[in-house]
Parts: sequence; C-alpha cells; structure tokens
Amino acid sequence: MEDVAAVAARSLWVSAAATALASSWSLPLAYLLATRRRLRGLASVFESLVGVPTVLVGLLLYFLLSRRGPLGFLGLLYTPWAIVIGEAVLVTPLLVAVSYRVLGQGVERYAALAEALGAGRREAMLFALRVSAPGLLAAVVMAFSRAVGELGVALMLGGNIRGYTRTLTTAIALDVAMGEYEEATRLGMVLVALMLAVGAGLRATRRLMEP
Amino acid sequence: MALAVAVLVAAASVFLMQQRSDGEVRVVATTTTSLYATGLLDRLAEEFEKLHQGVRIEFVAVGSGEALRRAADGEACMVFVHAPSLEKKYLDKGVLTGHRFIAYNYFVVVGPRGDPAEVRSAGSAVEAFRRIYEAGEEGRARFVSRGDNSGTHVREMMLWRLAGLDPRGRPWYLESGQGMAKTLVMADELGAYTLSDTGTFLKLSLDGRIPGLELLYTNSSELINVYSVYIVSSCGGREAEAARLFADFVAGPRGQEIIASYGVERYGRPLFYPASGHEEMLRRAWEMLAGG
Repeated sequence: MEDVAAVAARSLWVSAAATALASSWSLPLAYLLATRRRLRGLASVFESLVGVPTVLVGLLLYFLLSRRGPLGFLGLLYTPWAIVIGEAVLVTPLLVAVSYRVLGQGVERYAALAEALGAGRREAMLFALRVSAPGLLAAVVMAFSRAVGELGVALMLGGNIRGYTRTLTTAIALDVAMGEYEEATRLGMVLVALMLAVGAGLRATRRLMEP
Repeated sequence: MALAVAVLVAAASVFLMQQRSDGEVRVVATTTTSLYATGLLDRLAEEFEKLHQGVRIEFVAVGSGEALRRAADGEACMVFVHAPSLEKKYLDKGVLTGHRFIAYNYFVVVGPRGDPAEVRSAGSAVEAFRRIYEAGEEGRARFVSRGDNSGTHVREMMLWRLAGLDPRGRPWYLESGQGMAKTLVMADELGAYTLSDTGTFLKLSLDGRIPGLELLYTNSSELINVYSVYIVSSCGGREAEAARLFADFVAGPRGQEIIASYGVERYGRPLFYPASGHEEMLRRAWEMLAGG
C-alpha cells in the first residue's frame, strides 16, 4: 500500500482545488440569485440537486472526457485534474444553495437596513457581503467535506491509479474489496480527521476575519 | 418529527415481515465479481431452486479477497472464488471446508489492436509478459494492472515473477485498484495491455465498450483459471445442509452441463469449461498456483 501521508495529501489538494474552483463560479452565481428576483426559481433547482449521486456526475463527465468523447483530446481522464473538475461540479449545487440562503438573508435584512440608514447601494451591498462572510465560509467547509469524502467521481474520473490518482476514499474502497477491513477503517479515520482539521482551520480563519 | 417516526415504524414492520420466513432456508454465498457478472451463478441457482423448493441462494458479489474475508467472518455460508493462493491462506486457517472444483477457463492477455509489443506471436504467456515489459521500457506500450489482490491480479504477479521481472513503480505500469470491467475500460482508453478473465472481456467487447482492445494471447497452461466452491466451517444447521446440496448440484452432472453450455448462444463460445473429468489436471494446477 502506498504511503498514507501521500494519499492524504493528494486527497487534500485535489478537494481543496475542486472547492476553490467551484467557489469561483458558485459564489458569484449565488449572489446573482440572491439579488435578482427573476432568478430565484433557479435556486430551488440547486437545492434539489444537493444530493445528486456522485457516480452519476462521474459517469456524465466520463462520457465528456473519454478519449472518444467531445473533450477527449484534452487527455484529462485518469488524471488528478479530472477529479478536480468532477468534484467541482459535484459540490456546486450545495455551494450555490447554501450561499444563496446566506446572501439572501444578508441582502434582505442588512443591505436594506444599511440603505435605510443612508448608505449608498454599493456600500450597502458590501456591508451585506461582510455580514454574510461567516455563513459563506460554512458553505465552503461543507463543499470541501463533500468533495473530500466522495467516492464516485474519484473512482470514475481518476481511476484510483496507485501513486497518481489514488485518494483516501478510493484507497478505502480498494482495501474493502481486498478484505483489508482494518486498514480501510484506519484510512477512514484519517479521512475524518482531515475533514475535522480543515473545518477547524477555516473556523480559525473566520475568527481572524471577524472585527 | 412525527412523520419521521411513522416512516421508521413502517420500515421496521416491512423488515420484520420479510424476516418471518415460512420455513424457507436462505443460503448466503459470496462470490467473485467475474463469476457473478456473467450471470452463470444466477442461472445455476434458478435450476437448483426448481429442484429444491424452499431454498433460496443469495449471492453477494465482491472481489475474491473480500469474498473470502466475509466468509471467514461468518457472513456467508459458501464462497465461489478463483484465487488459489488466497484460498490456501483461508484453508490453512481452517475457515473453509468441502473444496470442489466447479469450472475453469483461461485468462486472456488483451491489448491495443496494433499490438506494439508483438504479444500475438509470443510462444508463451511468460514471453508475452516479457515482450510487454521491453516495449514498456522503450515507451512503446503500457500495462494496466488490477492491483487489488484479486484472483486475476494474483495471477498477473505470478506471470511477472515467472518472467523474472518486477514492473511495479515503472512509469508505464499503472495499478487501477479496481474491478475487471473498469480496468479493461481504462486499458482501452489508454491504449494499454492488461490481463483479464475471459467472461468480462467477452462481455465488454460484445457490448462495444472496449473497441480498441483485442484478445492477443490465451489458452496456455500458465493462464488457466480455476473456479472453486467452499463451504464455510462456521456455517451450520439447515443453511449448511442447503449449501452442501447446492455445491453438489453445481459440481454434479446437471450443474456441469449448464456450465458447459453457458454463454455459447450469446458469445459464440463457452465462457467456462466444466471441471468434471479434469479434476486431476485442475488439482495439479491449483496446487501449483496455491504454492506460487
């Protein structure tokens, strides 16, 4: 079995990159949904898709990235980058749905309040964003947790290649398939510890950000 | 809250109702995926259940390693496997009894149609592997290994050992750590070679899932694939009795007949050869593999 630390490190960077990528489009999208009344219907679509099966996302992207697929020429299948893209897509509904709620409240309550107190539109929105920051951070933590803990995408798009695309979850699945239940449990503990550590780390950052 | 409780109660009562069996015997059998995925076991169980009303054979399809582990944990009453060296470990622990050979076939070396390593003209499976290694080192070929301690993976490692080579860690040698179907798809995507069981390869090939892969080498004695059935020692009572009956049926004339003709219609060739009549040859091969 490959070094546990190397696999854990790969899981960490892949899921962190996926979360960052997903945030880059999900947070602006959530802001749009929260501020444009006409788009609100879309928010419930994202809410419903929060539990989309990981293996379905993996499968659909597999068709796209496969050598005979439309994006096959990129040669992304069975690379860590394929997992990053897949997990980014996977966590998008969660990230959008939660951020939308957080921003919606921020805008409705605090931006209105700030405007009533005489702030300009721009100032009011900035204020609403600042108030929403802790909630947005929580959404990012949840997205990371879902990304690092999912199996379907990593297996379908990464391929569980030893020393290259093997992550904690695919390593656990492999250990189970080999009947190595104790080793699988040990890796599971490492995974849970990683989730807790990242959550705690981001919470500490949040405290620093607060005035 | 009240709704959640109601759903729980409903689910529990459905579960309990299913448990209250009317004298029916359930036999849980773990099996390697490759054997189960062909549909052969379901076919055998179906015939058996016609003869023995009140017995239900239920299959849990997992890798050979997990199949044996679950059996050793007492979660199953019988186990169908094709990994002699793993089987021997569990036999030595005393958790398995009643070994019967049920079928055999040959592993196949498959690879890209162009066959850059010239495996097709190899004189033996070991030579085929040597050619793949050389082509790999020269950057002309890649190989995808199961890397999961399955029966197929154990055999692949044995072939490398017989060739006196160790490909682990070479850049052209990838370990997928996944089942046969996914490993074949990966080999197809990457234009790589791999070792497969006959059934899975034929099925995916026929379904058009792996158009880039071709069967390049098979049917040599080094590639023989022996399927066995065992009864789990810790299993007792009516379940063990029923399990023994099923093992007898599979190894008996009717079961062997089904095995011999299974898949011919669909794949144009049999997926398995019946063990009956070849016990001596299979015993020798099994012992060689168990020791290897």
